[in-house]
Amino acid sequence: MNMDMMKKLLALAVFAMAGGMVIISPLAGAADWPPPLKEPLYKVVDGVQVDPDTMQGFRVWRQAACDRCHGPEQQGLVGPSLLESLKTLTYQEFAVTIRDGRLEKGMQSFGTSEQVMNNIAKLYAYLKGRSDGAIKRAKVQELESAESK
Amino acid sequence: MKIKFNSKYLMSAVVAAASGMAMANADVEKNIADSKNWAMQAGDMYNQRHSSLSQINAGNVGKMQVAWTFSTGVLRGHEGSPLVIGDTMYIHSAFPNKVFAVDLATQKIKWKYEPKQDPAVIPQMCCDTVNRGVAYAEGKVFLQQADSNLVAIDAKTGKEVWKTKNGDPKLGAVNTNAPHVFKDKVITGIAGGEWGVRGFLAAYDIKTGKQVWKGYNVGPDAEMLMDPDKTMTWTDGAMKPVGKDSSLKTWKGDQWKIGGATTWGWYSYDKALNAVFYGSGNPSTWNPSQRPGDNKWSMSIWSRDVDTGKVNWVYQMTPFDEWDFDGINEMILADIKVKGKDTKALVHFDRNGFAYTMDRTTGALLVAEKFDPKVNWATHVDMKTGRPQVVAKYSTAQNGPDKNTKGVCPAALGSKDQQPASFDPKTGLFHVPTNHVCMDYEPFKVEYTAGQPYVGATLAMFPAPGSHGGMGNFITWDAGTGKIVQSKPEKFSVWSGAMTTAGGISCYGTLEGYLKCVDSKDITKELYKFKTPSGIIGNVFTYEFKGKQYIGVYSGIGGWAGIGLAAGLEKDADGLGAVGGYKELAQYTELGGSLTIFALPGQ
Repeated sequence: MNMDMMKKLLALAVFAMAGGMVIISPLAGAADWPPPLKEPLYKVVDGVQVDPDTMQGFRVWRQAACDRCHGPEQQGLVGPSLLESLKTLTYQEFAVTIRDGRLEKGMQSFGTSEQVMNNIAKLYAYLKGRSDGAIKRAKVQELESAESK
Repeated sequence: MKIKFNSKYLMSAVVAAASGMAMANADVEKNIADSKNWAMQAGDMYNQRHSSLSQINAGNVGKMQVAWTFSTGVLRGHEGSPLVIGDTMYIHSAFPNKVFAVDLATQKIKWKYEPKQDPAVIPQMCCDTVNRGVAYAEGKVFLQQADSNLVAIDAKTGKEVWKTKNGDPKLGAVNTNAPHVFKDKVITGIAGGEWGVRGFLAAYDIKTGKQVWKGYNVGPDAEMLMDPDKTMTWTDGAMKPVGKDSSLKTWKGDQWKIGGATTWGWYSYDKALNAVFYGSGNPSTWNPSQRPGDNKWSMSIWSRDVDTGKVNWVYQMTPFDEWDFDGINEMILADIKVKGKDTKALVHFDRNGFAYTMDRTTGALLVAEKFDPKVNWATHVDMKTGRPQVVAKYSTAQNGPDKNTKGVCPAALGSKDQQPASFDPKTGLFHVPTNHVCMDYEPFKVEYTAGQPYVGATLAMFPAPGSHGGMGNFITWDAGTGKIVQSKPEKFSVWSGAMTTAGGISCYGTLEGYLKCVDSKDITKELYKFKTPSGIIGNVFTYEFKGKQYIGVYSGIGGWAGIGLAAGLEKDADGLGAVGGYKELAQYTELGGSLTIFALPGQ
């Protein structure tokens, strides 16, 4: 995957925000953003053990404190239930919402968070797994490395 | 370093002396002395939340009726209360922080002030976009906006007089606290402990809005306005100087720079001591393993000189926090008997479940006892060292990151949060709205990014197990002995500021939306109950107009209690039985900010 390109674009977005400008979405127009999703999107065993990328998605979910608004089990709190939202949001819409936020509704922009921006596909995989019902609870564990390969 | 420090506060002393002090004090004092007004958020500078009005009393409160209502037009949580000065009521709202001046004779809006604020601050406000109300002095209304701008508004015209920026909201430094006018200064704090904001208290000149002093709660001595030789703290059973670098020594590396200890609570003022009292919040992050040490002076009670900001004394309640037990709750000043001795006391009901009685002159620790018997994270406070004795099983640091520490009481929102208590001079007791909630707490490693959340723990909350199944109590407390006198169970957290009156009543709101008045001599006796339009997280207040006493309260569910708690508990795997109780909140209330004013029937 083209990480260098990704980083450059991210830097551009950060620059735009620091300047307090309206983001013209330099990323949205980029053909390789958001980065492509994996096939299959996620692997789950026993409803709680997941592949390393999906595990990383969970870590990003925690780091970004998404649970403060969307609930510890993604069931919705001040913000909407992601179990429901991910049934209708496309991956593209999901990524743009996280990058730009929905400020009036109380959703912040995560555009300056490298953790979130660099792992957007993994975060999507984790949340989609929750929304699909394949991942049975918010807290997941990493599959034994032998199994995941 | 030391020279710089001294000259710095010599300078601010000169500035203070030059700016015509005691005027504001006189004006606010005059307004407070007239009990027809509700001149400050707590009714007075001691934070007592007590009124000497007695037209509405224990004998007739049962007949009370709604006199009039007012919608703020804002849906989110409404904390604090309006102010009443003469014939005008000043009403505020949650974000976007509207202020209305309402004519009490006609209930007509004289003016409305609505600031334009960047909506980017909305998601940065922890636990809902609340605002705890305005202050009034010398013909000005002071509003502490969410985006950290402190504004003085002309009380007659609603026009802005001055505006000053108190923090950088892009870094998560926002405000929810009410500004407090003491002497010729507006005192304000900052929020954003969950964004790595470094907490401080600041004083601005009420005439110009110029900053007079700013004292941080963590960091180098000079920036805290702390004198290593003169600032005192409770040490081995006596007051001793804090010594050099008392904060820096208790942090690893530069963590203090993003170390939290914010100040979003209620402050008080003692004219005789010329001191302002307040509490500092949690250290950042919520993952204790990332910040070994006592993290001084987060989680502390402070006394500062109001003219210079210099720290008189400081006491840390929860060294090395592992549970998010912010120390920001109100500091109530009262002259009471403590263990039989007349004492100028400071009484504080902390999030950590202990109620502290201090000598407010010296800072000596006098009493520290649990005000909810379910508190389990510490066995007791060692009165010699002043340190809580932590129970290993409930230590989220000892259990470590990525381990779920279960059954900690109280939950992060504390045995009491910011909802302020009242002191009833007649009975000498404190009337305290409390939470009765426990939690599971799982810390994890987080990285700091400026302007992004910096939390580091997930938690689940539930009603205190093995109790009455509800998640709140309204209690009376003897601060002289450290004992609960009476406890009245409530279905939900009591997240509303209490008020007592000379009429022998004690009133508070509930999350379902009831305004309740009980007998202050026997708080289990409910004398009045009325269902307002939404859940109550605001504070009860009273005033008199044209010979008639009124009691009022905001309703408008929200805040951590209303949204966070209620929804956070819809976790099906709790297995603790009482989860259904929380879900029920949705059966009582919806969002909607409004004010309900009550009075006795008849003209």
